[in-house]
Amino acid sequence: MKFTVERAILLKALAHVQSVVERRNTIPILANVLIAVQDGTLRLTATDMEIAVVEEVAGVQVARPGRTTAPAATLYEIVRKLPDGAKVELDHAGGDAALKLRAGRFNTDLAVLPVEDFPSMTEGKLPHGFALPAGQLRELVDRTRFAISTEETRYYLNGIYLHAAEGEGGKVLRAVATDGHRLARVEEPLPKGAEGMPGVIIPRKTVNELRKLAEEVQDEIAIRLSDTKIRFDIGPVQLTSKLIDGTFPEYDRVIPRGNDKVLTVSKKEFAEAVGRVAAISSERSRPVKLSLDRNHLLLSASSAEQGQAQEELDAEVVKYEHTPLEIGFQARYLNDITDQISDQVEFRFADGSAPTVVTDASKPEALYVLMPMRV
Amino acid sequence: MLSSAAEPLPVTPPSVTPPVRKICHVDLDAFYASVEQRDDPALRSRPLAVGGSRERGVVAAASYEARRFGVRSAMPSSQALRLCPELVFVKPRFEVYRAISRQIRGIYEAYTPLVEPLSLDEAYLDVTENLKGIPWASRIATEIRAAIRAETGLTASAGVSYNKFLAKLASDHRKPDGQFVITPEMGPGFVEGLEVARFHGVGPATAAKMHRLGIRTGRDLRERPLAFLQQHFGKAGAHFHAIARGEDDRPVRPDRPRRSSGSETTYPQDLTETGQVEAGVAALAAEVAAWCEQHRWFGRTVTVKLRYADFRTVTRSRTRPLPVRDREALIAAALELVRGLFPLRRPVRLLGVTVGAAEAEAGAQPSFDFGHPPPAGG
Repeated sequence: MKFTVERAILLKALAHVQSVVERRNTIPILANVLIAVQDGTLRLTATDMEIAVVEEVAGVQVARPGRTTAPAATLYEIVRKLPDGAKVELDHAGGDAALKLRAGRFNTDLAVLPVEDFPSMTEGKLPHGFALPAGQLRELVDRTRFAISTEETRYYLNGIYLHAAEGEGGKVLRAVATDGHRLARVEEPLPKGAEGMPGVIIPRKTVNELRKLAEEVQDEIAIRLSDTKIRFDIGPVQLTSKLIDGTFPEYDRVIPRGNDKVLTVSKKEFAEAVGRVAAISSERSRPVKLSLDRNHLLLSASSAEQGQAQEELDAEVVKYEHTPLEIGFQARYLNDITDQISDQVEFRFADGSAPTVVTDASKPEALYVLMPMRV
Repeated sequence: MLSSAAEPLPVTPPSVTPPVRKICHVDLDAFYASVEQRDDPALRSRPLAVGGSRERGVVAAASYEARRFGVRSAMPSSQALRLCPELVFVKPRFEVYRAISRQIRGIYEAYTPLVEPLSLDEAYLDVTENLKGIPWASRIATEIRAAIRAETGLTASAGVSYNKFLAKLASDHRKPDGQFVITPEMGPGFVEGLEVARFHGVGPATAAKMHRLGIRTGRDLRERPLAFLQQHFGKAGAHFHAIARGEDDRPVRPDRPRRSSGSETTYPQDLTETGQVEAGVAALAAEVAAWCEQHRWFGRTVTVKLRYADFRTVTRSRTRPLPVRDREALIAAALELVRGLFPLRRPVRLLGVTVGAAEAEAGAQPSFDFGHPPPAGG
């Protein structure tokens, strides 16, 4: 195998694929990237056995087709440090021979591992397929992923649950994530081809890789899936991932329907006040108490060591016309949600200890449920 | 129900060797009985049991005079009377014991905020860094015992060591009215010679099992590898492996959160009417609700216990999505549960109502109730 490619092109592709390689690895081949050239195309593949990322790069001058594997992190570091505009030549004589990388006066020999040892993740039928505009996919991910649980014992919550559902205005594609304390539910119109899809739980790492790759894309992203695997075609990159083998809980039963005490508050003032008031607390959970009265909201927090803090928001930014109410939330949970909201936050309370619904007044497609703390 | 203890991820503790801790275990001597003898001179030097003398009573505490006859706490009163026909019974006065316990806790707290009460008469204190800056834990133990005697007229025993396990063993060593120190040098040797039945967490059943495996003393226990202990005792195996070496890293936890609160009553005469049972359950539920209200402590699981005259016991419980906050709701929940046991098949001798699965303290983060956790697999 021998080919030449522009440094910037190689760097970008390596950056995409090497990010799935686990830094601490007990299986040596998983630290490597599979490099294959054929018919003027370079294919780079990296995997951690759960996720595989394949990128196809055109514009490669191929002197001799072939395949090998080399340490992904080292190769990426070297290419990153090469001068901009450099031409990179990769040359592998075959077998155990080292992979020679030359760029200008720089050259290095990289140890290789046999191609046959590189695990393949791309087999298996993916019977369901649909396409989503990249912007919609980003919204689904951004508005839910903060709520994904990191608790490994509840592995079935360690991802985003993607499924077809019956929304208020018709069929929808719905993304749901929860850590048991808060829940995020976002929906988009159901794309063609997704009608019969099984509900799948996409693991957190896959979600994060997907989000990075989707950042640069404007077009549609093609999605194919079975009940064990999912594949995203994001421009020149193909991301294949195993799905979490578990049953997502019946999230619908924790979404309250009858909450009738509505608070509307300006996002900017509210989020900033939460941040200021919570700063007094040294606890990790940073509870903030909301005390509501007619068109009046008092935020307060206290700490045994540091003292207490409070801030009042009044009718200028607060609308609330129900009986007085006191309720507490973790500051971080409030801010994670307000980060997703553009202008007006709408809270729907039942009482001080019941799950509360939060929405963006201008974007009804996203809904959040928050479990209050004891205050 | 999903775990309600799901807190944010714990911060990894720094991996430095902690300094040797100084732990005191303070145990009042025959607490309830000593209080009764203190308050009624006529009871002094007499064998005394606190508890019910009637047929169904149980000894809650025995004075040292009674212990000489073999009377022990938790023994049925009838058996205690057979062992010691002179035995005097007095009714327990828990409000008095609680008040004294609070008073003594005040003494502890002059030395350290790290006080973990085990019951009204027993507590662990971490005095590694104490409020008086006294470097010798044994000196603190002496002062505390003197203060208890001066302020309450009661005697206490104390054990001092570098962990909870050894501190508790040490307080037993010179009981009553004594104290004992187990230093880090003495720890492993002290444990070696002990009977395993005296170890924390080794009850009669575990002790019998250890005996079958040829483990009688700390030395025997120490010679068994960790894998062997885990194979035979499961999770507790690691604890046994550690304590056999005098090791125990459990921290002193001030104010351990309560896990349940309940009340039960054995009736002088068996209840035969459903109306009587309902009235009994409602009264118990009201009592528990009052306690919950007073302590701002609310549970989600309501359990009703019913023991028939033939001692068969049934319980019924239900967990609610949110804590039961008011008295009426708790009574209604308890009645609903007990009515599920009607019609009564036999007379009832005991009823109990318990509230558990609480998320008590302010600052607790409750979880959603998704119903039953989903099964594993696709």
